[in-house]
Amino acid sequence: MTDMPLPQTGRAGARTKGSLLQADSRTRRRNAAEKRFRAYGVTAIAIAILALVFLLTTIIRDGASAFRQTYLSIPVTLDAEILDPQGNRDVAEMSRVLTLGYGRVLDAALDRSIGSLELNIPGLSEGDVDGIVSREASAQLRQRVLNDPELVGQTVELNVLVNGRIDGYFKGRVTMASAERDSNVSPQQLLLADALAERGLLVTRFNREFITNPDASDQRPEAAGIGVAIIGSVYMMLVVLFLAVPIGVAASIYLEEFAPKNRITDIIEVNISNLAAVPSIVFGILGLAVFINFAGLPQSAPIVGGLVLTLMTLPTIIIATRAALKAVPPSIRDAALGVGASKMQSVFHHVLPLAMPGILTGTIIGLAQALGETAPLLLIGMVAFVREYPGGPPEGLFDPASALPVQVYNWTQRSDPAFVERASGAIIVLLIFLLCMNLLAVYLRRRFERRW
Amino acid sequence: MYDTTRTESAVSQQDIKISARNVQVYYGDKHALKDVNVDIQDKTVTAFIGPSGCGKSTFLRCINRMNDTIDIASVKGEIRLDGEDIYDRRVDPVQLRAKVGMVFQKPNPFPKSIYDNVAYGPRIHGLSRNKAELDEIVEKSLRGAALWNEVKDRLAEPGTGLSGGQQQRLCIARAVATAPEVLLMDEPCSALDPIATGQVEELIDQLREQFSVVIVTHSMQQAARVSQKTAFFHLGNLVEYGATDDIFTKPQDSRTEAYISGRIG
Repeated sequence: MTDMPLPQTGRAGARTKGSLLQADSRTRRRNAAEKRFRAYGVTAIAIAILALVFLLTTIIRDGASAFRQTYLSIPVTLDAEILDPQGNRDVAEMSRVLTLGYGRVLDAALDRSIGSLELNIPGLSEGDVDGIVSREASAQLRQRVLNDPELVGQTVELNVLVNGRIDGYFKGRVTMASAERDSNVSPQQLLLADALAERGLLVTRFNREFITNPDASDQRPEAAGIGVAIIGSVYMMLVVLFLAVPIGVAASIYLEEFAPKNRITDIIEVNISNLAAVPSIVFGILGLAVFINFAGLPQSAPIVGGLVLTLMTLPTIIIATRAALKAVPPSIRDAALGVGASKMQSVFHHVLPLAMPGILTGTIIGLAQALGETAPLLLIGMVAFVREYPGGPPEGLFDPASALPVQVYNWTQRSDPAFVERASGAIIVLLIFLLCMNLLAVYLRRRFERRW
Repeated sequence: MYDTTRTESAVSQQDIKISARNVQVYYGDKHALKDVNVDIQDKTVTAFIGPSGCGKSTFLRCINRMNDTIDIASVKGEIRLDGEDIYDRRVDPVQLRAKVGMVFQKPNPFPKSIYDNVAYGPRIHGLSRNKAELDEIVEKSLRGAALWNEVKDRLAEPGTGLSGGQQQRLCIARAVATAPEVLLMDEPCSALDPIATGQVEELIDQLREQFSVVIVTHSMQQAARVSQKTAFFHLGNLVEYGATDDIFTKPQDSRTEAYISGRIG
């Protein structure tokens, strides 16, 4: 009995009488401990914020310039003798002329227009002048002419990509000093670029092509974009959304509400938790063995990536959904059963709507995790160099594509420092996607949250 | 048991709604309810009293098979509702629960509007052909639960926004709306203040006109106030069952007397 007075036995349990105005040593020790604990907490949060700020500033500092690109505008006379030797403007005939031919047209145009400026830069060779535009420029010109053969013979004003080093000069990556040591760019080219920029022929503007272009080869970082990677990632997310969400939610509802609690369901439960902890690269090996080698699906295809990511996301979704279902108070189930609802009615009319915010949050976090996953995609061939856009869904799901995180990984492997900028730019896009998904999760949770 | 047979003969003229014979309940290895025999009359309030853990709620939950939802619970013996064994293999517990409504200890309205709370039962059982009929059922049930005047202007507001007593009456209205034949109440007033308790008790007395009410309560005063019949449970046994007045004034069993006078419990 607690309320019974204890007999006074000696000094044990007796309190010394002290003033309330003075904290005794015990209270002081307790208060000090609490203060220390608060200090640890504040320190931990401060470290986390610092790390985040450092990470974001690094990425934005390196990556922001990927969204700006330098272009040169020059008039190009499209010489009919080179571009259309037959003279009949037949696209099939004209496509026999390779980019090499267009390169010659472009070089001639460059020499002419820069020669007419009379810049007088000592030591500027003809090769230097031709080298300031991107190697991609002649391919772009060829594409444009093949799309519109009537242009042949005319003089058109062209906006062409400049070489990555020249572009880097305007973004501060390349300097006169570094150009001295660099075999890919000469100080004369930089002087020429300065002169052209002064006359307004060389401008740096927003780089829409970074978002829409496919990847480009090692020699032309200025042309590389994340278009194919974005499409690949979106396709994979669609596959995950349409497979992982229904399967995961259905499995959790069955396990949580309907399945008998016995040894078999215990084993299943433990295994689902274990699957959530399996390294993602293992899922990649599984995908390679099952979907590509056994089922014969194509390599590098978003469908295979989506299937692998589905397997990887399922445990996350199941665990989150079961937690959300568990959090619904049992009194609601009793209430529904009490008025004569069947088990299924009680689940679908009452339990599921209440668990919805938790299910949606878990699902979106699972999807976000899948969006950022790289390792399993490397094993199923999505690391391949893909320049062709995949087709529209559903057939496009079987076309080769890349994925955003894989594209980042890919670019960080390349030697040209211009790819660092591209990789950071792709990370920014990926982070924006993830941020949008998390905001959506927060919004949906707020929207569906109800009190009970 | 002698007491039981005596009461049985006394009530044999009236309609017996529920009759339980040799009911045993096990929770895993625990023998929670031992050999319960009881006859519950129609249009009567029957109170189950007894100390915590004595099995009175367990028995109540047997009557509408809510124990089915607990995996480790197993029920033996037979309980007959209007002469039909509710534990027969052919009986669907969902159909049974439409006939035997239940009100729980804690008010548990659905997180929906007041109207939807009451209309849910009739909707899933198809008791109304159109909106007008459903409106009528809702109004009748809310009036039956003495809640209509307080909520008639805010039927679209969430049921969870009502006060505790109103919520419990809403739960009663919800149970009444499915037109049950028996209403089970598991300590319906334990979460309510004395005023709300008074309202619910008054309501229970009115409900007796329509169906048989079985109420589990911790309060002996409440049992004395609302019930005509009382059963005393102790350690899983039905110790004594009889007219409420008899149980409280001249208990036959020494344990009943000890409980009523506050010596055990």
